[in-house]
Amino acid sequence: MIAKRVRMSTSTRQEPRLLSSARFPVSKGLITIGAATVLLFVVCAVFAQSSVSPTALQGMLPIAAVLAVAGLGQMLVVQQGGIDLSVAGAMSLAVVTVTHLPDQNNGLLLPSVLLAVVFAVVAGLANGLLIGALGLNPIIATLGTNALLYGVNLGISGGRPTITTTALQNVMTDSVLGIPYSVFFAIAALVLVTVLVRRTVPGRRFEFIGANPRAARAVGLRTRLHQTSAYVWAQLLYCLAGVMIAGITAQPSAYSGDSFLLISVAVVVLGGTSLLGGRGFPLATVIAAVFLQQLVQFVLALGVSTAIQTVVQAAALAVGVSLYTVDWPGIWRRVTGRRRRVPTATPA
Amino acid sequence: MRHRTKYGMAAAALAAMSLILSACSGTSGAGGASGGAVTHVAGAPSWCGTKKISFALLDGFGGNSWRLVTTASGKAEAAKCPSVTKFLYADGQGNTSKAISDIKGMASRGVNAMVVFPDAGKAVLPALTSAYKAGVVTVPYRVDPGGKAGVNYDKWIGDDFANDGNNWAAWIKKVVPNGGNILFMGGPAGNSQSVTEYDALKANLGSSYTFIDQTPFVPTNWDPTLTQTLLSAAIAKYPKIDVIVSDFGPTLVSSLPLFTKSGRAIPALATSDGNSLSCFWKSQQSSHPFKLMTVATGNDNVRLAVDYAVAKATGGKIPTADSFKSPVFEDSTDSSKPVDCQSSLPGDVYLSAQMPGAQQAALSK
Repeated sequence: MIAKRVRMSTSTRQEPRLLSSARFPVSKGLITIGAATVLLFVVCAVFAQSSVSPTALQGMLPIAAVLAVAGLGQMLVVQQGGIDLSVAGAMSLAVVTVTHLPDQNNGLLLPSVLLAVVFAVVAGLANGLLIGALGLNPIIATLGTNALLYGVNLGISGGRPTITTTALQNVMTDSVLGIPYSVFFAIAALVLVTVLVRRTVPGRRFEFIGANPRAARAVGLRTRLHQTSAYVWAQLLYCLAGVMIAGITAQPSAYSGDSFLLISVAVVVLGGTSLLGGRGFPLATVIAAVFLQQLVQFVLALGVSTAIQTVVQAAALAVGVSLYTVDWPGIWRRVTGRRRRVPTATPA
Repeated sequence: MRHRTKYGMAAAALAAMSLILSACSGTSGAGGASGGAVTHVAGAPSWCGTKKISFALLDGFGGNSWRLVTTASGKAEAAKCPSVTKFLYADGQGNTSKAISDIKGMASRGVNAMVVFPDAGKAVLPALTSAYKAGVVTVPYRVDPGGKAGVNYDKWIGDDFANDGNNWAAWIKKVVPNGGNILFMGGPAGNSQSVTEYDALKANLGSSYTFIDQTPFVPTNWDPTLTQTLLSAAIAKYPKIDVIVSDFGPTLVSSLPLFTKSGRAIPALATSDGNSLSCFWKSQQSSHPFKLMTVATGNDNVRLAVDYAVAKATGGKIPTADSFKSPVFEDSTDSSKPVDCQSSLPGDVYLSAQMPGAQQAALSK
């Protein structure tokens, strides 16, 4: 009951997030993360030039593209008030499916990608049914699915990394005008998600259900179907992210997805999508992925120790999250208000 | 009264003496050969004695290709000795409590000798100690479990990582004689293997060689994706990198093209072997040649540990080496150690290992 009330309140709070003066609605998340990213690149150019050199960007962009695609998947789930911890298992399974099964034979690449898609749909349906239909807690359900996915993964790979096929490697690492192909895959995923969610009737319903499932059900929308579909679409995007990693890395490990678990949630939050569900902000999520990955490059270029690198990233995350979740004007009012009240309260 | 106490004291002393003696014979009894004469099964290696034993190989984490090859190598080594009548294997699956119960379980099943990869380090020392005290010949290898030989286990057969550092340093002096910038990419931050290698490199190379970026090493976690991020940052930051040293060569394969993409030559590479790396070297020979030297990645470390454990339990001749020294495997500047690429085999086989590549490839099927 409490959760639902919170959800309703966030949905009512969401409207002021949009700038009404702009010709196209621009979210607070997009402005915040966009400004932060521009600022970061300026700081990089001033203090650590090597982190914005073409080589550094060529190293950063493919990984940012993978993170963006995984983040878009996570965003769809978060929009439904859920969270998907099976992103690690899903990406890793896609990696081993498209590397182990073809075993460096380009002819088998396409069938193995199709098989990875089948795995993704099955895993998405499993998550969706457990959470949407049976009402299980998403953390528990997706954690279980993650273990299942790793079971299949180890069954195929035995934990061994295998060299990727040359065809996939070329598709993901070649570049046009200095932009790696993997970036175009991320842009395609962004366009797809934006169009589906923003420009189609089911997409609009999807957002409405995420913002207020009770009201949506009262109106007669099929909430379970839409919640389940969120997990299926998410799995398909994780699958794409896994295939991208398999192409970018020559010999990807069977646990490649693990390092994307936390940061896939981080980019969603930095992009301004509420963890309580509702509106999603695909473009802001993708920019947040670039921001996080460029932050890594910046810290590396500064040459500080690993310990400081981790702290800087965590701090950036904390600041980002607090921008959206903490009511700073309210805190400011309380602090200043108390100061004003104190002198009047003291008896002279 | 006084006489009676004297006799009593003498009797107690005698009893204590016999207890101590029996205790001594208890611990050394399992060792077999430690006191007795060296025996030998005809036609088998010298470390294979005549006493029949059951033998266990225990892994802390068995889930990667390197471990798969290592485990199979350990099994093949034990099979060389007909006195090993039973071979058992347990995989701790990266779970320390399972690794501990595996060790205890093998001891209670009455194995005579066990070789253990103590991934969890000191956490498994009590289990090793109890197995040793129960009279099992206990030989941990590669990772240092702490403790002492003869107190907590029979012997620790480590890998001489300083030897790798020395080999790399000698080669670096040969190919970059006038000094230069060295980028050392190691494993997880603080891991003792990479630290030992760095110390050896540093001690061998003079002040004309500069270690760039983080020291002692750039922590890659031996993860190819992270290696790529770190290396792209390093390439952008340092216009001059003369040598890259890495203690897990195959993780570099996907990152090295970053050099050619940014219009630079691939630096000389001193690392450990892997078929994917050797084949990458070969594929670049026509367009972007670079110098490569590898040391054996050390799958055969387990063989020395098995030799030692089996020798001690069966009464064979105990090997004199107490740590595994990886030999130099490939050197593109030395025609006697050609780079060995077998393109028909998967990239994740280690041709430096005693086990043939085709046999390694078949392990994952």
